[in-house]
Amino acid sequence: MQTNEGPAAGAGLPALDDLAPDLSCAFYRDMLTARLLDTEAIALQRQGVFPAYVSLRGQEAAQVGSAAALDRERDFVFPTYREMAVALTLGVDMVGYLASHRALWHGGLYDPMASRFGAVNAVVGGPVPHAVGWAMGERLAGRRGCAISYFGDGASSEGDVHEAMNLAGVFHVPVVFFCQNNQWALSVPNERQIAGGSVAARAAGYGMPGTAVDGNDAAAVYRATREALERARSGGGPTLIEAVTYRVEPHSTSDDTTRYRKAAEERAWRERDPITRLRAAMRAAGHAGDGFFERAEREARATAEQVRDGVSAAPEPAGEDLFGYVYREPTGELARQRRVWQEEVLP
Amino acid sequence: MTMAQHTLELPDLGEGLIEATVLEWLVEPGAGVERNQPLVEVETTKSAVEIPSPCAGAVARLHAAEGDVVRVGEALVTFDVAQDAGIVGTVPAQERKPTRRVRLKPPEE
Amino acid sequence: MTGVTVEQERAAAVPAGPGTTELSMREAVNRALHTVLGEDPTTLVFGEDVGRLGGVFRVTDGLQRAYGEDRVFDTPIAESGIIGVAVGLAMNGFRPIPELQFDGFCYPAVDQIVSQMARMHYRTRGTAAMPITVRLPSFGGIQAPEHHGESLEALFAHVPGLKVAAPSTPDDAYHLLLQSVRADDPVVYMEPKARYWERGPVALEENRATPIGSSRIARHGRHATLIAWGAMVQRCLQVAELAAEDGVELEVLDLRWLKPIDADGLVSSVARTRRAVVVHEAPLTAGLGAEVSALITERAFRDLAAPVQRVTGFDVCYPAGPSNRSTCPRSTASCSRCNGRWSSDDHGPTHLRTARPR
Repeated sequence: MQTNEGPAAGAGLPALDDLAPDLSCAFYRDMLTARLLDTEAIALQRQGVFPAYVSLRGQEAAQVGSAAALDRERDFVFPTYREMAVALTLGVDMVGYLASHRALWHGGLYDPMASRFGAVNAVVGGPVPHAVGWAMGERLAGRRGCAISYFGDGASSEGDVHEAMNLAGVFHVPVVFFCQNNQWALSVPNERQIAGGSVAARAAGYGMPGTAVDGNDAAAVYRATREALERARSGGGPTLIEAVTYRVEPHSTSDDTTRYRKAAEERAWRERDPITRLRAAMRAAGHAGDGFFERAEREARATAEQVRDGVSAAPEPAGEDLFGYVYREPTGELARQRRVWQEEVLP
Repeated sequence: MTMAQHTLELPDLGEGLIEATVLEWLVEPGAGVERNQPLVEVETTKSAVEIPSPCAGAVARLHAAEGDVVRVGEALVTFDVAQDAGIVGTVPAQERKPTRRVRLKPPEE
Repeated sequence: MTGVTVEQERAAAVPAGPGTTELSMREAVNRALHTVLGEDPTTLVFGEDVGRLGGVFRVTDGLQRAYGEDRVFDTPIAESGIIGVAVGLAMNGFRPIPELQFDGFCYPAVDQIVSQMARMHYRTRGTAAMPITVRLPSFGGIQAPEHHGESLEALFAHVPGLKVAAPSTPDDAYHLLLQSVRADDPVVYMEPKARYWERGPVALEENRATPIGSSRIARHGRHATLIAWGAMVQRCLQVAELAAEDGVELEVLDLRWLKPIDADGLVSSVARTRRAVVVHEAPLTAGLGAEVSALITERAFRDLAAPVQRVTGFDVCYPAGPSNRSTCPRSTASCSRCNGRWSSDDHGPTHLRTARPR
């Protein structure tokens, strides 16, 4: 059994002084909606609707705070598979997003290109160099967009992440590497994952700024991401952000945390809940009161239930789609196999 | 509003599991339930989990006793529900018996 | 690398015939890259040493000077990163042409090729096109160190979402590369490095309309079809030459596209010759020869007078320089024997590489 103390995830209140109340209210609405939708998604798995689901509970501040800093018209997100709150913040069609977890289509049923939120990707580390390539393209085309790559502490061990960061450093491209260090890569804790103990510290080796931020503080995450994006947009190259947070739920609905971590640790992190902390800070700063929180809860619940019912009822894609997207210019052989499918499998 | 019955069958709770053991019932027959209210704690070879109710209604029948092993796809709970209640949940269909499409003929000679 | 310098190659230049230009395969690939870089501003050439040096085989020689460091650039040694970057560039509207320096060093990139490049179009339900051409100097015969000569066509041909090309002549090297780059699907383009320096006529101006997946009859014959791709086509032509001395007329079918495979072309050739031999450098077991053999057996069984045979490398690691003479593929005798018909022409372990008309 290992115990992870979050070095940068404190229990104090997020500082909201430089944030407009509108912004903290938006954070709160998105974080709460993500939380309630996450809860519904776990239930859908238990009820047999989703074969499996990966919860982001506890990581709402890291995801919403960073996504809120993005320019939705110009930037592009390269997620892995636990970025539901990022998708929500960016306005991705959430029924289409959760369709990935209902196993209707691997990458989800939303339009990743139009949403500027890449397809759900199950290979940890795999999409990180894509962000570098996209950012390189942005610079070559003379545009001002930035790429942001979401990955976790586990992915930070992957060779692709090293290659991507080195490439980004060499080419000085506008990309933000956003590591959500949620302490546990499935059952393996940070100390068995991250030699040296810090993902952010690795930035120095790539010639880019690296910063560790309290990932349960939406305002701090927002500020760090905004700063990194401003630097990237103005030609200052890549940044690595390590948002220190905690995966409160098991890795997936098939996982059992009692085999590898202590309940006390989970309890301690639940006390640093990002939503509770944000609510307290908003009250203290006078950003919102009971009326707002009650309304936010009502609206978030309605949205979560609407998405839940939507994804539960979503029609399965046509079977032909299996063949329709393998190639843009289909081969004769695949057309033949499609006919075989129609004749022998479909009836 | 007319009433109907809905039966929750044990879903595959962990990517390829075939059964679960009932640890503890959290509801009893006749009890009203809300959607997502915990119904039962079951244990699979991977973990112990609570199954939340897929609907609002009343518990009509529990199909297994504590300690029973229930196979995926077997009935777990039957509810009395309003006819138009949103019901969710799918269970991997019992593998159908293969049906014949063609008749074979041994090679001649 | 090959023991042949650029100067020697240039010295061997021959005048171009009418409508064609005499080029080495290296030059033909280079000209194709010039063509696509010139016609489409979204094309980009990048990889290890492809910029200032012009590539270890000088295939990209002069491209950086002509098109600038933004469009032709060196990367760090990061094969996976190179393909990953290509995927991201494609998602941003570019048409990348990455080079992986040697086939044996592409294994680190296989995850990006298979899990990302080949599937992104599918994963995104067609919203993200992946018009990427991965240039992969391939196959053996250059007596290089380990991992500088492999034969990986079966690996890539097995992957849904990929197309795979392996030209054998300068003319095909030019036209197949144009097709690959202009296509909107990812192509693994396997250049036979042992053939880089050999010359042949290239119809640079011709607008080739042959579809992706078409094969080519490299030599007509009526007694058996030898099926090959890449460097082995030349070997098969040499064998056919020898066989002709004995009155055996071998057809040589250059597959050119290893995915999709020209099944109709195979069937139509075998319908004429009634015998087929597949020749490849790669190891026997689960090699592409098995696929070709199965295709012919499934679709042309009644035309066959004898079982389809495979003449391939052995199931061993690709051998070090000198000993690769003694392995893949083997002798003219192997080719001859395998139809159980012309066994008198057995000169022992004469390697195809050294076979020459007597």
